Amino acid sequence: MTSPLSPSASSSFPPSLTSSDPRAAARRALRTGRVLTSIGLLGVFAAYVRAIAFTAVEGTQGPAQKIMYVHVPSAWCAFLAFGIVGICSGLYLWLGDRRLDTFSEASAEVGVVLTALVLMTGPIWGKPIWGTWWQWEPRLTSTLFLFFLFVGYLTLRRAMFDPAERARYSAVVGILGAMLVPFIHLSVYMFRTIHPRPVVLNPEGPTMPGSFVATLLFSLAAFTLLYLGLVTTRYGLGRLRELREARHVSAA
Amino acid sequence: MSSPPPGALTAAFIIAGKDLRSELRRRTALVSAVVFAALILVIFNFARDPTSLRAEQLAPSAFWITCAFAAVMALSRAFAVELEHGALDGLLLAPVPREALFLGKFLGNLVFVLVVEGITLPLFVLFFNVSLRGALPGIMLVAVLATVGFVAVGTVFSALTARVRFNELMLPVLLLPFMLPPLAGAAQVTAALLNGRPILESAGWLRLLLVYDITFVTLSLLIFPALFDE
Amino acid sequence: MFLLREPPDNGSYMLAAYTIVAVVLVAYSLTLMVRARNEEQREQ
Repeated sequence: MTSPLSPSASSSFPPSLTSSDPRAAARRALRTGRVLTSIGLLGVFAAYVRAIAFTAVEGTQGPAQKIMYVHVPSAWCAFLAFGIVGICSGLYLWLGDRRLDTFSEASAEVGVVLTALVLMTGPIWGKPIWGTWWQWEPRLTSTLFLFFLFVGYLTLRRAMFDPAERARYSAVVGILGAMLVPFIHLSVYMFRTIHPRPVVLNPEGPTMPGSFVATLLFSLAAFTLLYLGLVTTRYGLGRLRELREARHVSAA
Repeated sequence: MSSPPPGALTAAFIIAGKDLRSELRRRTALVSAVVFAALILVIFNFARDPTSLRAEQLAPSAFWITCAFAAVMALSRAFAVELEHGALDGLLLAPVPREALFLGKFLGNLVFVLVVEGITLPLFVLFFNVSLRGALPGIMLVAVLATVGFVAVGTVFSALTARVRFNELMLPVLLLPFMLPPLAGAAQVTAALLNGRPILESAGWLRLLLVYDITFVTLSLLIFPALFDE
Repeated sequence: MFLLREPPDNGSYMLAAYTIVAVVLVAYSLTLMVRARNEEQREQ
């Protein structure tokens, strides 16, 4: 008799006395996720207040420089999200626990939203600071490719219906994608050193005043908390859904 | 009574040889790929303003974009033939390690794409009025380095998308991001070589391509078996 | 006399970016909560 808490209990589908445990675990994840998301949203709101009202305006760049306080944390979380997709994909192929695949899917969905935010705030920040909407510079280009990788991952999942095969195939894409990101960064960096574009102002400056760093870190913490909340919620949702679908399959 | 199963490497060569021989017999994929490449080169030439952009400036990008598209086309067919004739299951049932299957497919695809590139190069020299000027060995080197990289990942994705819906679209969507480092390196080095720069100047790109190749050939080899349920 | 330059007047960019981020994050969070609640209720 397998222990209700062992991975095989959650991935074996016949209804049994143990089936309420994975559901309960999923609902717990949902509850935790909701709490973390709410705190995260409050944190982001607090970061907004701090950035707008309590952080100085940069002398040469003006208020637009403050976009950094939402752009950089979003980017950090987006890359974190894909890193987690890569790690969960690898662990899934190694351990076979379906929950890793569910978590990976959750991280991908939240990640694509965050990446979209980076790609929207980037040009809005770039126009007043650089003078152009877009630059083929390493971080922005890497983020663009991150977006393509996320979309590819999620699109592949939507095109597949067998859960086990979908989990395996997504994991392959997830691992390969995660390994690609550093190469993209290097390639663009090398391209830029050969073809340097004049970057009029470095938005972050050679050294940032301490107060700027503090606000940035605060915002970073808030965004990361929100990311964790959203992923946990999405994970709980994914688990409930797949448990429900599994019951229908075994009942048929 | 039956002969012992072939060693992994032998199996790989057998698989590659079978693919290439059948391609040599029918030649449809090769001809389509080359014609496709030629057409793209022609369109590139007419899609530019001759007064503002000289052919030589456009040439390296045009060549490599052409090769990229032709390669994606070739890779999307890599597992299609087996799928159509139900031979894929036969291959999988054979006592051949999955890695050998990957190696065989990878080698077959690699040779095929390199041949397409080899045929496209003289067309490109012709249409864009390029003088190779001793750049040929360098271009061949960077061509092999770049192609190995994306064919490795392309072989994995080709097997992956073979049984997925919308696979003609899914393969490019998944593969094209992986083509950036090889293509960027190939185009930059080709441009430098055609401008008469010594190949040592491009050592940085060549190193990047080499690391990319080692990373992704190894990763693809290790991860390919995960596509098949055991 | 040392004249101190005013910082450029690009506050509208900041406002646009901050609004987009806020709207997207709140909207996504809310839709996620709603989807989760729907899924929980489907169990009954």
